[in-house]
Amino acid sequence: MAKKILVVDDEKIVCDMAKAILQNEGYEVETFTDSQLALEALQHTPYDLVVTDLMMGQISGMDILREVNRLYPNTKVIMLTAYATLDATIEAIRERIFDFFPKPVKIEALKQSVKKALGD
Amino acid sequence: MRLPHLPKMTIRQRIIVSAVIQAIMICVIGLFVYFSFEDVLSKLRSIERIDDINIALLEMRKAEKNYFLYNDINALKESAKLGEEEYQILLSSKPFMGSILRGPGRKNYDRLLDILKEYRSLVNNLVDGKAAPRDFGEELRSRGQELTLVSEGLLKLERENVSQTINNNVIMLIAALGIIFLIQLVLWQYFFRLIIEELNIMARMIKIVSEGRFQEVAVKTISPHNEIEIAIKAISDMAGQLAKREEEMLQAGKLASLGVMISGVAHELGNPLNNISLMAQTYLSIYDMLGDEEKKIYMGDIYNQTERIHKIVEKLLDFSRQKKQELKEAELKDIIDISLLLVDNQLKLAGVNQHVVLARDLPPVYVDASQIEQVLVNLFINAIQAMPKGGDLFISAGHDSETSNLILEVRDTGTGIPQEILPNIFDPFFSTKGTKGTGLGLSVSYGIIREHHGDIFVESKEGKGTRFIIKLPSLTG
Repeated sequence: MAKKILVVDDEKIVCDMAKAILQNEGYEVETFTDSQLALEALQHTPYDLVVTDLMMGQISGMDILREVNRLYPNTKVIMLTAYATLDATIEAIRERIFDFFPKPVKIEALKQSVKKALGD
Repeated sequence: MRLPHLPKMTIRQRIIVSAVIQAIMICVIGLFVYFSFEDVLSKLRSIERIDDINIALLEMRKAEKNYFLYNDINALKESAKLGEEEYQILLSSKPFMGSILRGPGRKNYDRLLDILKEYRSLVNNLVDGKAAPRDFGEELRSRGQELTLVSEGLLKLERENVSQTINNNVIMLIAALGIIFLIQLVLWQYFFRLIIEELNIMARMIKIVSEGRFQEVAVKTISPHNEIEIAIKAISDMAGQLAKREEEMLQAGKLASLGVMISGVAHELGNPLNNISLMAQTYLSIYDMLGDEEKKIYMGDIYNQTERIHKIVEKLLDFSRQKKQELKEAELKDIIDISLLLVDNQLKLAGVNQHVVLARDLPPVYVDASQIEQVLVNLFINAIQAMPKGGDLFISAGHDSETSNLILEVRDTGTGIPQEILPNIFDPFFSTKGTKGTGLGLSVSYGIIREHHGDIFVESKEGKGTRFIIKLPSLTG
């Protein structure tokens, strides 16, 4: 059965590209541009991997990370961000982040990280 | 009253000229009073003389009467002696009777001398026995009577003369006082009214400067002619310098805001850049598999993302550009929208929710929109920094129909400002943010709002939040 990946980013292009790339790799991908809806989806659907943007308004990538850690301690989280302060990075590391990608993201590197996270 | 124009004089010159004119006036009046007193005094002295002569005449006539009553030759001799003395007194008094001799009294004086001469020769003739009392008695008596009459006439004339002189002097003194009053009026008009007017101009200028409306006062004045005009020019120059400094402060304030906005800007630029990167990478890797239509879509999306970057850069440049104040009709709603856009990412990063409530039918404002944007961006950044753990930013705008002011309110639910520093927050370089702030933001905002003839107030409760209220005159007002 294909591994399920959740992608959260308020940029639609990021969602679309990630979906296209990761589906191409054989994963099942669900995307949300609204982080609130993503948080709701997490309540009833477990995912094998979560790829999320950090800065997204009301519900941030950090909130998604904490929720994933709380609900599914085995699920890995990869974070993307256009701009991160040192404080935000340290906080993410403490919350057991799997990988951290500054934007613009290299697709190859992201693909490698996803593979690694899913133990493929 | 319009007066012909005098050459321009300094205040020092005016004071000297008017002091000299007043001194001359006082001297003239003083001399006039002195001479009129002197005149009256000399007349009184001659009256005294005439009085003495009158008394002596009576003595002489008493001796003459005794001679006729008792036929006493000694009495007649006494009379002759008195007559002689009298004559001498009359002659020696001449220098003291200047005023009498110049007037109608001259006739009386000469007549007195003549009669006295005749009287004396009559008496002498009698004493020497050259004439008999029978023949001359009557004549002597009539001469004596005439002497008394003329002498008394002289006295009366002189008394009238003195009172006339005193009356004349009083009238002239009153007239002189009137002239002094008129001269003072003219001096005031020429020398000092202008000074008061210029001082009033200066006071008005200082008031405008204290209200922060430097540009209104910084005008090229005429070349100064006196000390006050020099001071007025100095104030005007100072206002010009202050306006220039304020412009520099405005720019410094903007750059300071930009510094704080930089993380938001990086985020805002980073996202479209990432989108372009992702699409380009994908496009390259699957180029062979893409049909023409798909390729078009990819390129179109990439182009749209570059447009997005272009707009952000343009917006930033527009914000940071140094511009002369340019007043235009503008809608408050547009100004609020653009300001919010500039800090949009900042709000997102800090987890701050924005709530905008605008009254319906807000009248347009006549402002420099980019300056008001600067003020709002500043207030928004302050609000965001006061809410590090997120919160709510309320922006509302209303219209006070009574004062026809637009009232703009920016409220946060942040840490608030301690009461003791509340009065200082609009001071230049006053900052509580350490190295994060320049202390220019609010002072520049204050300057901008005052330049727009508006007002800005602050209310704050520690732990509850801060509210800034801005009043701006509306176009309908």
